[in-house]
Amino acid sequence: MNATMLMQTIASGLVMGLIYMLIALGVTLLFGIMRVVNFVHGELVMLSAFAVYFMTTAAGLPFFVALALAAVASSVVAVFCQYALFSPLQYDILNCFIVGIGASFAIRSASWAIFGPEPIAIASTLPGVLNIGGVFIAKQRLLAAVLCAGLAILLAVFLRYTRHGKAMRAVEQDREAALLMGVNPTSVYVTAFVISAVLAAVGGAMLGTLFGVDPEMGAEPILKSFIIVQIGGMGSLLGTVIAGLFIGLTDSITGTLLGGELAFIFDFSILMLILIVRPRGLFGYDA
Amino acid sequence: MLIDRRKATMLIGGIAGTLVTGRASAANKEILIGGSVPLSGPGAAIGITAQRTFQHAVELINAEGIEVGGDRYTLKANFYDNKYVPAEAVTVVEKLLADGTRFLFSLGSGNSVPVVAKTTAAKCLQMSMASGKSHLTSPEFPLSFRVQPTNETAWAVYPWLKTARPNVKKIGHMNPSDEAGFTESDDRTMIAEKNGFTNIAKEFFKRGSTDFYPVATRLVAANPDLIDLGGTIGRDQALGCKALRELGYKGEIMLGYSDARSFIEVAGASAAEGTILFDTLAEPQNQKQKDLVDWWIKTYGPPFPSFACTVWDAPFVLAEAIRKAQSADPVQIAKVMTGMEWDGLFGKSRFGMKSVYGIDTTITRPIPMAVVKGGKPVQLDIVPWPANV
Repeated sequence: MNATMLMQTIASGLVMGLIYMLIALGVTLLFGIMRVVNFVHGELVMLSAFAVYFMTTAAGLPFFVALALAAVASSVVAVFCQYALFSPLQYDILNCFIVGIGASFAIRSASWAIFGPEPIAIASTLPGVLNIGGVFIAKQRLLAAVLCAGLAILLAVFLRYTRHGKAMRAVEQDREAALLMGVNPTSVYVTAFVISAVLAAVGGAMLGTLFGVDPEMGAEPILKSFIIVQIGGMGSLLGTVIAGLFIGLTDSITGTLLGGELAFIFDFSILMLILIVRPRGLFGYDA
Repeated sequence: MLIDRRKATMLIGGIAGTLVTGRASAANKEILIGGSVPLSGPGAAIGITAQRTFQHAVELINAEGIEVGGDRYTLKANFYDNKYVPAEAVTVVEKLLADGTRFLFSLGSGNSVPVVAKTTAAKCLQMSMASGKSHLTSPEFPLSFRVQPTNETAWAVYPWLKTARPNVKKIGHMNPSDEAGFTESDDRTMIAEKNGFTNIAKEFFKRGSTDFYPVATRLVAANPDLIDLGGTIGRDQALGCKALRELGYKGEIMLGYSDARSFIEVAGASAAEGTILFDTLAEPQNQKQKDLVDWWIKTYGPPFPSFACTVWDAPFVLAEAIRKAQSADPVQIAKVMTGMEWDGLFGKSRFGMKSVYGIDTTITRPIPMAVVKGGKPVQLDIVPWPANV
């Protein structure tokens, strides 16, 4: 592998890592606050991508307007899932996990029936490719990377500096103490689901412009998200960011060096190693 | 005992009805065909197209009926979702065989190869739309027919490339890392070499992947004149092509099997431009093809998936073989089908390739070639099947 090829591999890996990181942040946020492993998250990615596709093609809306509306729709679905699925189960980790898988399959199957099998794609908002010293980066990928990184920073700022963000962190750290301090957990839960849904919507729209839209498109990101979250540490935002970038880079490097088939093997090997050596993940804490 | 007029009328009516029904069931017989196709998952687009097309062909066949020894046979096709997962396909086929089905229509190499031993043992006639070699097509499996030219298209396409694209010398191959992909890769590299090309790269990816940059980076680095995505289907080939172009690849790209318009939409018009599409019908070339296109557009709306054309002949060939065999026995029908010739959707067609597989059970027919030009598929050529294969 020469220097240009290495740079190409790193650039490609960072972009993918940032997208996976954004989707995984939604997963880890819900786990951190509610201990909910939300399998429906992948379907929110898919449904949002379809929403953006139809709003940009059928309704002719500009991409970012469609994305904003898709984020609203995704939030509505997420909050509905919260009240219809997870709240009745009192956010029990195992029950929510199983119900989430069931709901995920149901949504995916319904999507096949509704949207049909033909592959479609959201039109690129930024066509063209940048050539930086022999390293090629599609402008759309660059946009996706910038947007994902920007949103991750915004989320960190929100959680650190806003009243509502602090309330979320308080619930995450000690639910009972937060309650005694007057934090309304219901409001925190709804906010967490909405934020998670918005992240899924942006991730879905970005994936839709890069890789097309189909009912199965949420499956790989959710699998990657769980690997990332597990490696980074369930509930740790910093861990998710680092693990997301790490998985993006290792996927790209192993895929380029050894072939794409081996990337997943490598991911799972890392995951197994982490689970054996440090079960709570790199930056996680004991639940 | 006396019976009143009303009861007598009912009794006579009942007897008459029984006689008519009894006679009808004696004359009208049904041949069950089990369909094992992907109706969900990444291969769903071609699976659903196959199901719709096959069912329509069956309707037309049934309107006429199949006369066998004074009985009138009709076909009934029941399709099941194999999700393009071999384990699912095996389950589907085991259930079909247990239920007494003796005709199978199977889509996908990974779904067809694992069941061929079972169908052969059960004397079930298997029609596969699948890449394959001797593990699917050989004298060991006399009831296994391949009804879509897949890896074999290379026998027609590579000689055509020599004249149509004389600047192409070095070939790179990109295929999925599964049964179909390995078969396609082996055959295409072998046939390319036989035709004087040099294979300089042979890459594999996990079917259904999203990011093709890693595999595309390796291929672009090898700098081939043409990249053959022979074994790829659906979204994979669009994303593969898109990644190659985004990474600066300027050479030729060749692919086939899937719907050209979906490919162009997902890859993007600029990335898809110039792509050579093998076994792709861009425009109907005869009345049969036109009728099929018109029916599809009328029933399902545009766009017409050219993959439907590759499905079309299979049920008609089966019906014709039943007529010729004058039997509903799969073994007798298979004997008639072996080496059979017919006037198909693409012209003169034949089950052949004994020279390669030792048995004449693989479809051979003209291969339509198209190219993406101005964001849409344009017909380039209809390549005749090579005489020596």
